[in-house]
Amino acid sequence: MSYELTIEPIGEVLEVEEGQTILDACLRAGIYIPYQCNHGLCSTCKVDVIEGDVDLGEASPFALMDFERDEGKVLACVCTLESDVVIEADIEEDEDAEYLPITDYTGVVTEITNVTPDVKKVIISLGEDVEFQAGQYIQLSVPGVEGSRAFSIANSPKGAAHIELHIRLVPDGKGTTYVHETLSVDDELSFSAPYGHFFVRKSKDKPMIFIAGGTGLSSPKSMIDELLAEGYSKKLTLFHGVRTKTDLYYQDYFQSLAEKYDNFAYIPALSEKKDGDEWDGEIGYVHEAAERYFDGSFAGHQAYLCGPPPMIEASIRALMKGRLFENDIYCEKFLSKADGAADKRSPLFKRI
Amino acid sequence: MAEKRKKKLGIKQRYSMLTRGLSWETTYQDMDKVFPYDKFEGIHIHDWEAWEDPFRLTMDAYWKFQSEKEKKLYAVIDSFAQNNGHLGITDARYVNAIKLFLTGISPAEYQAARGFTHVGRQFRGVGPRVACQMQAIDELRHAQTQIHSMSHYNKYFDGLHSGPYMHDRVWYLSVPKSFFDDARTAGPFEFLTSISFAFEYVLTNLLFVPFMSGAAFNGDMATVTFGFSAQSDEARHMTLGLAVIKFMLEQDERNIPIVQRWMDKWFWRGTRLLTLVAMMMDYMLPKRVMSWREAWDIYFTEAGGALFKDLERYGIRPPKYADIATKEAEHLSHQAWHIFYNYTHAAAFHTWVPEKEELDWLSEKYPNTFDKYYRPRLEYLDKEEKAGRRFYNDTLPMLCQVCQIPMGYTEMDDPTTISFQSSEYKGDKYHTCSLGCKDIFDYEPEKYVQAWLPVHQIYQGNCGGPEIEDVLKWYNFNLGADNLDYSGSPDQKLWNEWQAHRKKA
Repeated sequence: MSYELTIEPIGEVLEVEEGQTILDACLRAGIYIPYQCNHGLCSTCKVDVIEGDVDLGEASPFALMDFERDEGKVLACVCTLESDVVIEADIEEDEDAEYLPITDYTGVVTEITNVTPDVKKVIISLGEDVEFQAGQYIQLSVPGVEGSRAFSIANSPKGAAHIELHIRLVPDGKGTTYVHETLSVDDELSFSAPYGHFFVRKSKDKPMIFIAGGTGLSSPKSMIDELLAEGYSKKLTLFHGVRTKTDLYYQDYFQSLAEKYDNFAYIPALSEKKDGDEWDGEIGYVHEAAERYFDGSFAGHQAYLCGPPPMIEASIRALMKGRLFENDIYCEKFLSKADGAADKRSPLFKRI
Repeated sequence: MAEKRKKKLGIKQRYSMLTRGLSWETTYQDMDKVFPYDKFEGIHIHDWEAWEDPFRLTMDAYWKFQSEKEKKLYAVIDSFAQNNGHLGITDARYVNAIKLFLTGISPAEYQAARGFTHVGRQFRGVGPRVACQMQAIDELRHAQTQIHSMSHYNKYFDGLHSGPYMHDRVWYLSVPKSFFDDARTAGPFEFLTSISFAFEYVLTNLLFVPFMSGAAFNGDMATVTFGFSAQSDEARHMTLGLAVIKFMLEQDERNIPIVQRWMDKWFWRGTRLLTLVAMMMDYMLPKRVMSWREAWDIYFTEAGGALFKDLERYGIRPPKYADIATKEAEHLSHQAWHIFYNYTHAAAFHTWVPEKEELDWLSEKYPNTFDKYYRPRLEYLDKEEKAGRRFYNDTLPMLCQVCQIPMGYTEMDDPTTISFQSSEYKGDKYHTCSLGCKDIFDYEPEKYVQAWLPVHQIYQGNCGGPEIEDVLKWYNFNLGADNLDYSGSPDQKLWNEWQAHRKKA
């Protein structure tokens, strides 16, 4: 038995299992509600219940006052649901969020291309436009595989009656193995979309840095395509890190964009250049390439990071060393089903 | 397809709409003259507006919350008194932990109130100013409610009759007093780093969690209720600690080395202060919760480890000497208890040699050190006591110039050698108990040479007279009741009478 939890003011909707606390459900879905003790004692995670029935759990009478209980306040860390519920939490309103409703789609595969030895570009075409913000992802149902798999959308949302995905073969990964070995053109695929808070904050009107690792190129590509088409005037700089030359894809595409647009720069980097690779570009990790390009100083920018967790962490450290902080850093970590629970973290950072 | 939701104002925006425009740039006077203290520490702030309010509370809501908390707490305190709650505790020895808390920690809450009141005036940014003012009121409330919660014990037990007075005079209470004096006489940013960050964030769980669960385990419901009532404020205080650190680190890179030095200093001072808690956990609770070593592992090594890993992103490293402090967790409670056992005749609480099951518990919790170094010593003291040769140390100890703890702690890799550091300053020699305290002295010698060291003061004739008895009277001790062993004390006699009465009934 599970219930639906709607979180205002962002309008996000989550499935919450019986006995699962509101806080746990939110944190697992990547929605940060401020919290401290996690045991109903401190009142940091207090939220308003606007609709629905809840069990207050073991909320301390000193952390949740009687008058607050009467007003419908609960402590998210101990509160569980007894019906579908709407809450309002202290979550920062994001001016650039469009809060698009999640919709189920079924489309047809119209293209499968090998772009590197272990990455396929897959295009799913639909009879209708798919509504999403550049940078968001879909939950794809892979035939015969339990649960859904998350993939970022690589094309611009403008007039999109199709979506483009970049899918790397994860060793022993059921979902990606199906895509690489079984999926073929004309197959039907179902997915729901759009998900995630990884989208560009245009309203801040700052120059943007994109750091992508491997297939983490997908979201930045969607973002850059849209921004350039819209005539965004600030500088956009894309760093794409891969291991070897053969892992690099879309190089010609971004090079031609860089030639066409004065405010766009493209810097690919190889971390394990092979002797045979014909290469006169950046060598080393992608965050090091970014440090060299910006001479170690990132203040005044916005950064969008997309890729595997070690790349994200290394990039955050490089950016912070160059005086760019949490308020201007956005990231999308690529976790596969095999990645377990994240390291124990302190409440020092909320999103990064 | 569902409709797009209409955007609502978030809580943060609502709060800023409600509170904006309540501060202003002064024009008759230069801002630097109105706020003379927020620059001299070398902290550079470019944009005070970048301060993120860690909690969004209006005074109106604040009073509403606090008044309900008070109502609930005082109902419990009243019923504890009416039902003779003191009869329900595990053993009268437990009350000695209360004595230490009331004389050592509750006056420190008041010190914190004074400190936050001061810095709540000194920041030119309105965000931190308001946060500090609210915390000042919280701290005052904590001092009051602690005194009220524990006052019931004062009707029956000794050593609880003049906490604040003793705090200003007694030798071992100069440890917490000097800690807060040091913080309050620093600049406003250092004060917040010391109290809000190092004390309230990094170390508070090592103080409150053991103390409150100790109270719960030992039947002291009044203190437990106070603990819950305070913890709901502590969360705000911890958040303030993180907010101020992030603010300083993000505003200017020149702030980073300054913040690092403060973290090093206040981490070390904090661990020294917490020795009193360590001793309480391992020796003073008749029913034990967890060992100090275990508490250290959970609340510092694990939780603090996660924090310092995140702080690394700012270029901050873990506090200097954290490795030594972790080694000390195996030793300090035993060494501190030994110091107090030496000087119980000059303390306002009782000590004792733990009973056999208690020694066994310590052996189990400290397999690396207790049987090797500390158990034989305690068994020897017990034997001597039973043979009528109870050892009291009649000379006064040398104190560390910084933390003011008697210099009885050892080197951690050689627990039979006393750790001993010294520095020369303007032709005089000053002694410190550890490398951590020596570093602190050496960076600001002019500050620490002014320390009010109880032993020096006694020898200079400033503490009531030349004999120990004169000094203890000056401390306002009831001699023969407040001090000396638990065994033979009026506390013990009264407790035994109650127990005998209960058996008859």
